[in-house]
Amino acid sequence: MEEVVLRLKDATYRHSLYAPLAFKPWRKISGQGIFSANLSLHKGTILGLVGPNGAGKTTLLRMMAGILPLQEGSIYESEKNSSAVLSDVNLRNMVGHMPEQVRWQGRKTVRDALLEIGEMRQVNESRIDGLLKLVGLRSRIDAPLNELSQGMRQRLTLAAALLGSPNILLLDEPLNGLDPVAAAAFIVLLGKLTDKGVSIVISSHQVEGLVGIIGRLALMHRGQILAEGTMLEVAEQLNLEKKTEVSGEGKAPDFSKYVSTAELIEVEQSSGEWRAVLNKSEPGLLKNLVADGIEITSWTIRQPNVIEMLCAATGQSIEDVGLEVSSTAVMPLRNFRGEEE
Amino acid sequence: MSDFSRIMVFAKRLMRERLFSTRMYIMLPILLLFIPGMAWGFSDPNIVLPGGHQPESPMEVLFYASLGVVFGATMCAVLLSYDSVSRERASGVLELRLSQPMPRAHQALAMILGSWRAILVPTWILLVLSVLIVRYRMGDWPSLGDCLVYFISTALILLWYVLFTLLASSYTRDQGTAISFGVGLWFLFTFLWALVTTMVAYASGVSIGQENDAAWVVLEGGLDLLSPNGVYHHLLETRLSQIDRGIAVWQTWAMALAWTLVPSWLFIRRMEKILP
Repeated sequence: MEEVVLRLKDATYRHSLYAPLAFKPWRKISGQGIFSANLSLHKGTILGLVGPNGAGKTTLLRMMAGILPLQEGSIYESEKNSSAVLSDVNLRNMVGHMPEQVRWQGRKTVRDALLEIGEMRQVNESRIDGLLKLVGLRSRIDAPLNELSQGMRQRLTLAAALLGSPNILLLDEPLNGLDPVAAAAFIVLLGKLTDKGVSIVISSHQVEGLVGIIGRLALMHRGQILAEGTMLEVAEQLNLEKKTEVSGEGKAPDFSKYVSTAELIEVEQSSGEWRAVLNKSEPGLLKNLVADGIEITSWTIRQPNVIEMLCAATGQSIEDVGLEVSSTAVMPLRNFRGEEE
Repeated sequence: MSDFSRIMVFAKRLMRERLFSTRMYIMLPILLLFIPGMAWGFSDPNIVLPGGHQPESPMEVLFYASLGVVFGATMCAVLLSYDSVSRERASGVLELRLSQPMPRAHQALAMILGSWRAILVPTWILLVLSVLIVRYRMGDWPSLGDCLVYFISTALILLWYVLFTLLASSYTRDQGTAISFGVGLWFLFTFLWALVTTMVAYASGVSIGQENDAAWVVLEGGLDLLSPNGVYHHLLETRLSQIDRGIAVWQTWAMALAWTLVPSWLFIRRMEKILP
């Protein structure tokens, strides 16, 4: 297994919410947040953070970036056999953070925007040209920020995160605003970085597209990490077996006649074609279907996907996991006398 | 690069950004009219002020011309820095800055210095112009001490307004609230402080507006220490021997120090705890 470069131990952060009372207008209470998160980052590996809206992915990334202070627990730097608790400044030195959707604006040029961040990291000016080339913005180096498209702004944010050659890169929804070609190029770039030993944590709603490059996965829900490990390890932790996906022509057969040990979890019928998914493999299923003259067009045994894992981890259906945002997504927003704090 | 150099480099970048901003180009004519314009007007040999008074010395003219700083430069300081934090916060750039290894206290100091110098540089240039105008019109230079106090106290009042505005900006994501706070405070200290003084005098049984009544003069002088504009005038009055409002020089400088340190400390503390 790869060397662990960073370890979170019982890391906790709860947002403070204003809850004014008539005689105590300053009263605050602890709200949602991250509860006792334990996580290890492995060298040169991409960790995918997956969870529904409001699960706490951004909060966790901000804790790892040294932006939000830990209220309990610690973050350790693991070097060989020793580990040391990291101060906020040391943590920020190690980590490059790409926040979600930075809206760069103003008459400042791309070069000046990067120089400003570079000065805060004590990065040499000569590195900026190389970084802009890496993210495909070299031709826009003297363009004002106001003239950048959303995709270009994302690239600029990535370049800012890469300043100072961090060992760890935290990416919050990095694919937002990128066109498909740019997204593909971005994924290739992530691969190159991991080859150089950079550890990456990526939080993305489009995580299915990243499954091919994700080495490890952390499933999050309501501020907790429910499962963490490689895709196989997480599937094992959740007792998920390989799925059987069958499709064919004509009318979907009555699977209750064919299935005894497995469970049918999904059937779709559309204009003369059908598709069914079973939660595990069923011995003799293909043979029996063919013997009954049912026309099979495809037969796949596949690993459970990320959404299935998330549903299994939370014990909720896709609809519940996907739509249950009212109680959690609003958690970082606080109101004080009508003003968003 | 040392911490100090890094703060200064970052501050210089922020200053240049504001100094060459569109809003600075809009405000420059206002500053030009207010600061050298007032110096020109008050240095007129034929001017007669209310009460039949005529300014006698260059410092007295500069004292009256300081109204241009109080009305124009402080408002420009507010307008220049009201979105220093709130805009960066709303756009996500603040989150990127907060994730950098540069300590937040240093970032806060750089923001203070950058925003302050952006208004200080044009104001000081216009103050130099005012001194030259006074020399031209009155045929006499203000003393070096007069100039030092005039320039330093003007720098301080601008710093105080920048600090108030930065504090407001750091507490709001909504830029409208930040500017309302800055302008509101400006109105309070520039126009409404006289009302506050009057109300306190009324409540204390002191006759209002009687310049010959020692109780009124002392009360007004004391309450002025609680207003940045009042402290600014007290500082300038230290160079005018004919004005005595019962406030010692050390008291004035102590309040100037307090007006500088307390909001600076509050802003740095706020930036150390700010959430993106």
